[in-house]
Amino acid sequence: MENPEIKDSDFKLVKLDEEASEKIDTPKYSYWRSVGRQFFSNKITIIVLVVMVVVLLMSFIQPMFSGYSLTDVTGVNDLSRRFKWPSMQYWFGTDKDGKSLFDAIWAGARTSISIGVISTLITMVIGVLVGAIWGVSKKVDRVMLEVYNVISNVPSLLIVIVLSYTFGSGFWNLIFAMTVTSWIGTAYFIRVQVMIMRDREYNIASRTLGTPTVRMIFRNILPYLTSVVVTNASTTLPGFISYEVFLSFLGVGLSQNVPSLGRLISDYAPYITSYPYLFWLPVLVLALITISLYVVGQNLADASDPRTHR
Amino acid sequence: MTTEKEVLLSLRDLEITFGKFVAVQDVNFDIYKGETFSLVGESGSGKTTIGRAVLGINPTSNGTITFEGQQINGGLKGKAKHELERKIQMIFQDPTASLNERATVDYIISEGLYNYGLFENEEDRINKVRTMLEEVGLLPEQLYRYPHEFSGGQRQRIGIARALIMKPDLVVADEPISALDVSIRAQVLNLLKKFQRESQLTYLFIAHDLSVVRFISDRIAVIRSGRIVELAETEELFRHPIHPYTQSLLSAVPVPDPQIARHIKPIVYDPTQHHYETDKPKFVELLPGHFVYCNAPEEAAYRKQLAAEGKTQA
Repeated sequence: MENPEIKDSDFKLVKLDEEASEKIDTPKYSYWRSVGRQFFSNKITIIVLVVMVVVLLMSFIQPMFSGYSLTDVTGVNDLSRRFKWPSMQYWFGTDKDGKSLFDAIWAGARTSISIGVISTLITMVIGVLVGAIWGVSKKVDRVMLEVYNVISNVPSLLIVIVLSYTFGSGFWNLIFAMTVTSWIGTAYFIRVQVMIMRDREYNIASRTLGTPTVRMIFRNILPYLTSVVVTNASTTLPGFISYEVFLSFLGVGLSQNVPSLGRLISDYAPYITSYPYLFWLPVLVLALITISLYVVGQNLADASDPRTHR
Repeated sequence: MTTEKEVLLSLRDLEITFGKFVAVQDVNFDIYKGETFSLVGESGSGKTTIGRAVLGINPTSNGTITFEGQQINGGLKGKAKHELERKIQMIFQDPTASLNERATVDYIISEGLYNYGLFENEEDRINKVRTMLEEVGLLPEQLYRYPHEFSGGQRQRIGIARALIMKPDLVVADEPISALDVSIRAQVLNLLKKFQRESQLTYLFIAHDLSVVRFISDRIAVIRSGRIVELAETEELFRHPIHPYTQSLLSAVPVPDPQIARHIKPIVYDPTQHHYETDKPKFVELLPGHFVYCNAPEEAAYRKQLAAEGKTQA
């Protein structure tokens, strides 16, 4: 092969394109789309998410058809319907009143999940708002720290039980009793997070641009805290469900005619050796609910952290 | 200095303390309208602290800061403070830390416009932002991108855009090119100079790099341990440094010629040569516009030396 000679005529002068170095070739970044992509990239998350959706749908749809009621006594005298082990007719068996455990579990799960979700929502909304103000204002900080010290030194169980007795039991009363002090823990957590962000340089920059404090909270600080708020919510939600179960087990909180997983577990605890399915099946469903909510919540929290985005 | 210059910012006997630690003391200088005034000093000498005090981020413990004839440190409230914040803007050192990572470039540049309602309608706002974006050399299509998608130099230009869209009178530039790659420093410096030519901006430029300072500033103040030791016009300071610290600082500037560099003898500054225990130092004008921080015996010695060199003294 002949060696080609390189001549000046092989080159030509091109003009420097100033704009070319300014272009960004990567596709446009969208925060929530990246969160979604990261969330659905994990197989375990998808499996747990399916479990969670099935459990949620069952809890909210099944009771509408079964018409389960604690005060329903139609099968109470039918001896043949009592204590039936799980079968094709009664999937989860029956109890001493001849009631289907399958219906009881989903009706109970509906109450427990509702209480958990509503309480978490209330706690997070109040907690984040108060925590944000608490974190930026020195005056509020001085007052709130004292309030926090007083409330956090009283056992929350004591507060809930006292409130349940004073206001009487019931669905909304229980939610009130649980959330009346629970938000202060979240608020304190958010306060610390806000204080960490508050004096970052980009916030000082915003201050020199004359940005008012309220806009700083909503535009500069809270968007950075999305992942810690989601993490907090994902631990709070199963916590509330377990708490409701525990209170119902103790016999405080919900009124007598409201079914809940806690009441089922406490009612069927004596049968743990004679009819174990009565005790273990509600416990299993409770575990499914709390674990799936927790895992989904944790993975959502991870996905909402932009450091995991590629 | 034929025409009388208008003083924009004036600092008198400024003192800033953090707890018991005195960060800045005896700081006196004026900044004239339309000039670039540089503060030079080593790390921890208090130059950023002074810059932040001018913006009202760091509280002052003594002395006054006067802007356009109005005292601005301490006790300025509500509307007056808000109005003042628009007139003094800042360009930050670290372009990564100083931009809100969760906001688009559009919002970051418009932030000040929103705060002061500096636009008539949405269309007007977008136009202003786009114009600004083009002026700092970014592309309009990058309006809805996030800061982390940009390079360091581009981010710093976003920082400049958001400060200058406010149409400020004074810009405090806190080491705006220190965090940048050497290859793009000139780009940012030229941009700052361009804006100064176009809209008579005044810069308080904070830096530690003497060659950069010489390129950009009209007057320079050298600061050491929170005290300004010498202040003069740029060329005057580089040619005839009087204070031993300034001489030491200038002798350390690298020369890009090995033949000359070989013969430069670095001057070592020894702060124990001053005896300020009984005789307190003052900021004295030795030559017209050339100030040095010294006490009475030192002043006499400096004056004697200057007389020997045949200079007209102030």
